[in-house]
Amino acid sequence: MSIDFKPMPAEIENIDRTVEDNHLFRFRLDKAMPTEPGQFAELSLAGIGAFPVSSAAWDGDERTFHACIRRTGRVTDALYGFSEGDRVGIRGPFGNGFPLESFAGRNVLLMAGGLGMAPLRSLLHYLLHQRNRKGEITLLYGSREPSSLLFRHELEVLAKQKRIRLRFSVDFATELPWSEGGAVCKVGLVPELLEDVGDPEPHTVAAVCGPPVLYACVLEELAQLGIDPDAVFANLERRMKCGVGQCCHCVTGGTYLCTQGPVFSLSELRAMPGAI
Amino acid sequence: MKSWQFDSEFTSRLSERLHREYRLFGPLTGKDGVCRLALLSREDALPEAKLPFIPLKKMLLPPRETLWTGDNLRCESPSDELPYALVGIPPCDLYALEYLDRVFQDDALYLQRRENLMVVGGGCASSQACFRPDTSKRPSFDLFLGDEYVWTGSSEGEKLLSELAGCKRTEEDVPFPETMGEGTDMPGVEDLEGLFNRSSDWELWQRVAERCLSCGACSAVCPTCYCYDVVDEALPGREVVRRREWDNCFFRSHALVAGGHNFRPGRKERLRFRFEHKMLGFGALRGVPSCVGCGRCNTACPVDSDISKVLAALVEEDAS
Repeated sequence: MSIDFKPMPAEIENIDRTVEDNHLFRFRLDKAMPTEPGQFAELSLAGIGAFPVSSAAWDGDERTFHACIRRTGRVTDALYGFSEGDRVGIRGPFGNGFPLESFAGRNVLLMAGGLGMAPLRSLLHYLLHQRNRKGEITLLYGSREPSSLLFRHELEVLAKQKRIRLRFSVDFATELPWSEGGAVCKVGLVPELLEDVGDPEPHTVAAVCGPPVLYACVLEELAQLGIDPDAVFANLERRMKCGVGQCCHCVTGGTYLCTQGPVFSLSELRAMPGAI
Repeated sequence: MKSWQFDSEFTSRLSERLHREYRLFGPLTGKDGVCRLALLSREDALPEAKLPFIPLKKMLLPPRETLWTGDNLRCESPSDELPYALVGIPPCDLYALEYLDRVFQDDALYLQRRENLMVVGGGCASSQACFRPDTSKRPSFDLFLGDEYVWTGSSEGEKLLSELAGCKRTEEDVPFPETMGEGTDMPGVEDLEGLFNRSSDWELWQRVAERCLSCGACSAVCPTCYCYDVVDEALPGREVVRRREWDNCFFRSHALVAGGHNFRPGRKERLRFRFEHKMLGFGALRGVPSCVGCGRCNTACPVDSDISKVLAALVEEDAS
């Protein structure tokens, strides 16, 4: 099929404004756009610009797209002036997404830093949606401060129901640690949470998403803890402008992250200089 | 590839025929001494093959190109353009065209132009600046014009010649001429990928980067540098236009992401990035160098950097 860069119309159906400057948008798409966890789309505000954003939820509905969007630049700033009912454009889905078959029946370790929680939430939804799923799910999630923890309530409910094992960490806090609703939070960095949950059993699959510094310190550590480098996955994000392997902005180690990624195993990343 | 012999009247007949069906662009040297791909008039003779300073990518991927106009709800693609012909295209640019064809094989706007494009190549005059990578394959073209013979490389080219007086198929196909200029050969490297990775912290890169102004002239004139930015503009009234515009991997903003992190913050990283694209290729074309050896980057570089010399220095340092 040929690429013409025309976005599909979509309507902002809901905006969850719980976390300041990190609103969760739900878009209603005019046509189906089946999106897998780890894939992304280009969100378009006509006349202002477009930006890539990961899918932040999975509900099996091919006509919705969820995105947790940080107010951080010109276009996202403009989007924060939009309300429910306003129309935007969307192109996608792009990228490979997480290799979901690798997660079947295995213990899963999810590690997120900051906004990296968004794509991992999509994966988490998918995993929880699998009926009679075997294997334990552990989520280690670090953020700047308690108020910037994304989806905190939702995650705490899941922890309370014992559907996931959950540990939060924050960089700064005035009253901590707290331990309520099955969730524990401590002050520190995400990798430090690994000590809390004990060594992963050998067949664990890990998925990591966060800022570059998180990858630098955590991916190899997971391998050292005995997880197969083919089963450690990371979601790399760059400023993808085209999404189709042309514009070259996302190229890392000779690889178009937008079409060949953005999800790679640690084995693959080791062969991509500059990726971590 | 079929060869045809032509008579003395042939090229003017070819020119006339092409003008009837196409807008013609070819390399013309202006009074300022700069060779450009320019619109040819019926009075112009078909120009000899020459290297225009800005290569033919500007025809297929214009510096500013409208992707669509409208709004998010109703977007119109640009309408068809008149078919055009490029004449006097030297072999290295024909190789570059083939490379772009592979990168943009799914791109609607590129394909729309490409499908109607007639390409007439010609042998180049050797230049001092050029060097040649390994090009064991013949370039692709519709017609390739020699002194005595013309070669056809597509059914469109054959159809055109079969309808034209003054040329006839040779009984046996005449071998395609040795088209590459007399530039220096690129040094052969067995494992360039390995050498490139090994060399990442060699001082050599730092030395080249210290001279580099990061001006991006090399990428701008490169026939296979195609990266772009996507830019919106609101027009008077309600209409908006989304364009893609030539970008440049030497610019600081190229690998900048939201939040301020830059994945290629220094000139060295950006220099290596371009070298990697030219010598190793990206994505599905990894292992296919995009450098066609035209030498434009050497001519354009204000500090006299030379990608072939960088390669040679890498090989030399690796050996020592």
